[in-house]
Amino acid sequence: MKNDCQTIQNQFADYLTGDLDTGAVEQIRDHTAACASCNRELEELTATWIQLGILPEEQPGSNLRKNFYAMLDTYQEGMDTNTGYSGKLFEKFNFKKLGEWAESLWPRRPVYQFALALVFLFTGLTAGIFFQSQTSPGQEQQLAALNQENKDMRQQLTLSLLNQPSASQRLKGLQQTSFLDDPDGEILETLFNTLNSDANVNVRLSAVDALYLFTGQPGVKEGLLASLQKQTSPLVQVALIDLMVEIREKRAVQSLKKLLENKKVNPEVKKRAQTSIEKLL
Amino acid sequence: MIDEDIMKKVSAGNVKMLAILFERHHVKMYNYFLRLTADAGLSEDLTQDVFFRVLKYRDSFRHESKFTTWMYQIGRNLFFDHLKKSKRETPLEETWGNEIADTGGQPDAHTQDEQDIRFLHRALDRLTPSQKEVLVLSRFQGMKYREISQLLGCSLSTVKVQVHRAVKNLRKSYVELRGGVA
Repeated sequence: MKNDCQTIQNQFADYLTGDLDTGAVEQIRDHTAACASCNRELEELTATWIQLGILPEEQPGSNLRKNFYAMLDTYQEGMDTNTGYSGKLFEKFNFKKLGEWAESLWPRRPVYQFALALVFLFTGLTAGIFFQSQTSPGQEQQLAALNQENKDMRQQLTLSLLNQPSASQRLKGLQQTSFLDDPDGEILETLFNTLNSDANVNVRLSAVDALYLFTGQPGVKEGLLASLQKQTSPLVQVALIDLMVEIREKRAVQSLKKLLENKKVNPEVKKRAQTSIEKLL
Repeated sequence: MIDEDIMKKVSAGNVKMLAILFERHHVKMYNYFLRLTADAGLSEDLTQDVFFRVLKYRDSFRHESKFTTWMYQIGRNLFFDHLKKSKRETPLEETWGNEIADTGGQPDAHTQDEQDIRFLHRALDRLTPSQKEVLVLSRFQGMKYREISQLLGCSLSTVKVQVHRAVKNLRKSYVELRGGVA
């Protein structure tokens, strides 16, 4: 092989990943235009690289997530009680059996389940009252900082889930929003993006439910009103219309009248819009 | 928040934040193992073990390095530990041969796609382990060559040569499996 062919072919790996600058790409193109062997090599490599794109990304089973969160919760509990549980005892458990082990501790009969739940509630309340009376101003500051960190963490987790390629993960992210007391602008913006442009109608419906919790926040009602005009799925339109009635948003009347005038809107949606106008006025 | 900052918090004791890293990376990690082993159950176990080790050894993460490189290093170690323990050869051809890919297209195209996927998996299996791994890391895990070289402990040029050979050999096997048709 000629030296220049070798030099050119040494760059093929970078060419495949698009990591060459314009100059290097032009150099390769000039060479392959004149060298049939290198040209064929590059064409075949490129075709194969692209062909590999048809191999799908597989989704793991639901047990993977379940076991991970069980492991994390157990680890956290171990750290909180400072028994050293998190270290060595932990390694004795096979993760697959962790869930079964936790389930085995829970009583089977409902009456005992209720009793155990009451015990946990009482213990929690007592501990809470006790520790509240014991906290100093310094400790209160630490608690506030921890709470803030916890809140930030929940928001990050929610955002991460909402941006996942899998619809089931996005749905999980939407469920997570119900644990947020005061979501920031980024969360609300992501929720509206999800409501207005997610490909999956179930995800958009869940976004309506998620935003319902935050209608007290500035801009949310206006965002929902705007979304009503954008939606094309009858299910999502009806969900939004019902939400407007629930929150007694009289500004929705104008939007609902527009829906009545729109020939493309489903007749059932129009019926719901009509009855909702009567409820709002 | 970037991975390294989250890992810093995990190292500092806020272990719940590992959930964010899990949600970001577990599917890719699972697919990394799946492409190497063709065993879904094993791949799930290995993925779980990766995150357990991330938690257990969180204090050893050096925050100036990249989280994904460290995570994949843990993954590789687990994979090679598994190989040492296991003497069974993974029947990749049989495994991938039974996969049905639902493309929702025309019946003929559906069959063609299904066949192509099967042939590609079998062609991947014919690569040497090192060629298969660099190809999986660069093509499917989206890892840059520099990061792969750090992960594998070899030079950048070695990684590029391996990728070149891997794609070339993959194509050769793929064409053979398709009866000489490219």
